[in-house]
Amino acid sequence: MKNIFRPIEATLEDVISETPNIKTFVLRPKEEFSFRTGQFVELTIPGIGEAPFTPSSDPGNKEKIDITIMKAGRVTSLLHTSPKNISLGIRGPYGKGYPLEKFYGKDVFIVGGGVGLAPLRSLLFSLFAGIDNYNKVVLRYGARSPGDIVYKEQIPKWQKLKKVDIVTTVDVGNAEWTGNVGLITTILKEPPVDLKKAAAIVCGPPIMMKFVTLKLLDLGFKPEDIYLSMEKNMSCGLGKCGHCRLGSFYICKDGPVFTYEQLKDVHDIWD
Amino acid sequence: MYNIYYISAIQLNEFILRLRGRYTVFTPVEKTENYTRETDYSYRKLAAGEQVIFNPYRAVEPLKTFFTRVEEEVCEYFAPSQPVNELEKAVIFGVKSCDIAGHKIQDFVFLEGVEVDTLYRLRRENTLIISGDCTDFKQVCHCLSWEILPYPTWGFDLNLSPLNEGYIVEVGSEKGEALIEEYKEYFIPAKDVQIAGRLAKRESLIDRLRRHLLPQNLVRREDAQRLVKDGYSLDTWQQFMQTCVECGGCNFICDTCHCFLLSDRKGKEGNTKVRAWDACLYANYARVAGGANPLKLRAQRLRFRYTKKFDFFIENLGIPACCGCGRCIEVCPGKIDIREVLKDLAKKLSTKNEKYIPSY
Repeated sequence: MKNIFRPIEATLEDVISETPNIKTFVLRPKEEFSFRTGQFVELTIPGIGEAPFTPSSDPGNKEKIDITIMKAGRVTSLLHTSPKNISLGIRGPYGKGYPLEKFYGKDVFIVGGGVGLAPLRSLLFSLFAGIDNYNKVVLRYGARSPGDIVYKEQIPKWQKLKKVDIVTTVDVGNAEWTGNVGLITTILKEPPVDLKKAAAIVCGPPIMMKFVTLKLLDLGFKPEDIYLSMEKNMSCGLGKCGHCRLGSFYICKDGPVFTYEQLKDVHDIWD
Repeated sequence: MYNIYYISAIQLNEFILRLRGRYTVFTPVEKTENYTRETDYSYRKLAAGEQVIFNPYRAVEPLKTFFTRVEEEVCEYFAPSQPVNELEKAVIFGVKSCDIAGHKIQDFVFLEGVEVDTLYRLRRENTLIISGDCTDFKQVCHCLSWEILPYPTWGFDLNLSPLNEGYIVEVGSEKGEALIEEYKEYFIPAKDVQIAGRLAKRESLIDRLRRHLLPQNLVRREDAQRLVKDGYSLDTWQQFMQTCVECGGCNFICDTCHCFLLSDRKGKEGNTKVRAWDACLYANYARVAGGANPLKLRAQRLRFRYTKKFDFFIENLGIPACCGCGRCIEVCPGKIDIREVLKDLAKKLSTKNEKYIPSY
C-alpha cells in the first residue's frame, strides 16, 4: 500500500559550513531519488520533525543531494548540531521547479539574496550542464556581509566559465572586502541582458524579492518573464494540508516557482 | 437509475440492527443539554437491541470525522515492518444533504490532485452512507442559500425519506443496490403514490425553509466569490474578529475545512508521522521558521478562511466550500456568523444601483 507521507531513508554523509549560520548537508538516499531543479523536498529528522527545502545540488547527480540550510527554527537548529552519518528522511520531490526549456536561447538573469542562492545553485548547475542551450547566464548576488556569502569558493570558479557573468555585493563590507557595497538593487542597473529575450529568476528573502521584482519591472522585464521562488510553511507538499495557499494557488503543487504574471493580482504575496 | 423501495419503520430498525453484525453502525442519538433549546443529535455506535432514531436534521459532528481523525498516525517509517491497517467496515446512518455536499470538498482534497491519500480512500470504500431527507431544520440552517436542497440527490448509498409509518428508500450506488439485494426481504418496490408523497413532503419542507430564510436576506451563491475578493480591504474582517477567541471551533466543526499539520513522533520500533487537524484561525497556522507570520492578525486569518471557502474553491473546484449547515455559527463562542459576515461585505460593497437580492 502506497503511503504518501512515508519518507525514504538517506545518510547524512557530510556537513559543510558555509557561513556562521548556514550549512550544506550532503545526503545519500538509500532508495532511488531524483528531482528537477527548483523542486523541493521535505527533510525529516526521524521522530522529531520535518521542514521543506529546495536542494542546492546538481539534479544530474543521482547519488547525492545537497541541501543548504540556514539555522532558523526548531528543525534547522537541530540539523545544525547533527553529527555525520545519521539517518534522515526525504519526501518528495514536490512542486514544478524551473521551466528550463522556457529559458532556451535566452539571457538568463538570476538574482539571489542570502541563502536564496541555495536553490539557485542547483539551477546554475543545470544551466552550466546545458550551457549551449542558453545565450548567457548572468548572476547578481547579494549578502548581508562578506561573512554571509554562501559558496565562497565556488563563485570565483563559476565566474571563469564561458557565457557566465557574475557580480556580488554586500550590504555592509569589512576591511578585507574589496567588492561592491550596497543593497542588491544597486547592482541591477543596466544589466547586460537583451530584455527582448531574457528571463529573470529571483530567490531570496521576501523583502528582497519584492524590491528586486519592482526593479526588474522598472528595467522593462515583462511580468511573464520574471520567475519567483515563493515560500510558505509547506507541510504536506501535496496540496492537501492547506498551509501554503497563496490566492487560488498552493505553493507546494502549483509552485514553488511562479511567474510574476501569475501572482501580480494576488494580495500580500511578499508577507 | 437505481430502483426506489419502501421499508416500514419496524423493518428498518431490524435491517439496521442486522447490519450491525457486519459493520460498525453509527446512528444519531438525541443530546439532552443544548442552550439553543433545539434538540441536537450526535453520532454513537449503535448498541445491540437499540432503537434507531431518524434525525430530522444534521447531527452535531461533520461527516469528515469518519474519514480523517482529529489526530492520527498516518505513517510509520524506518521501522522493521510496516503494520497493515485493519479497517473496520462502517455504516453511517442519518447523514444529511449538507454533509454530502460539503464532503465533496474533502473528497476533492484527499482523493484527487497530485496524489491520492490511501488511508482516506480505504475508509471511503469501507463506509456505507445511509442518508436521510431533512424533515425539519435548525435556526442556523441555510443550505438553500448555497443552492443545496434539504434532501440529497447524489453521494449516498441509500437515502431514506420518511413517509407514513416507514421510509422511501432511494438507491444511490452499486454498493447500495447490493445491500438491498442482500436484505431484500425488508424492501418492497415503492408505489408511484408513495413517490408522489415523498415529493409533497420535500416541497413542503423547502417551502418552510424558504420562508425561514427569505427575511434573512442572505447573499447569493454567485456573488460570494466577488464579495470576498472585492471586500478584501474592508473593515468587515476587523469588525467581526473582535469577538474571536481563536478556539478553532469553526474550522474543526466545518464539513469542508480540511487543513492538517504533519508532525513526527518516536514510536516503539520506528518513527511515525502524525496528522492532526489544523485551524487557520490559530495564530501559528501560517508561521514559518524564524518566526515570520503572513497571518499575524486575527482579521487576516478570518479573511483567509473566507477567501479559501469562496475564492479558492470556486476557482479550483467550481463550488463554494460552505454547505450552509450552520455548525460554525452554533459553535462560535464569539457569535461570529458566516451569514452576517457575507452580508456585511455585500452591504458595504453595494451601491444604489447594485443591490444583493437573494434568489432562492
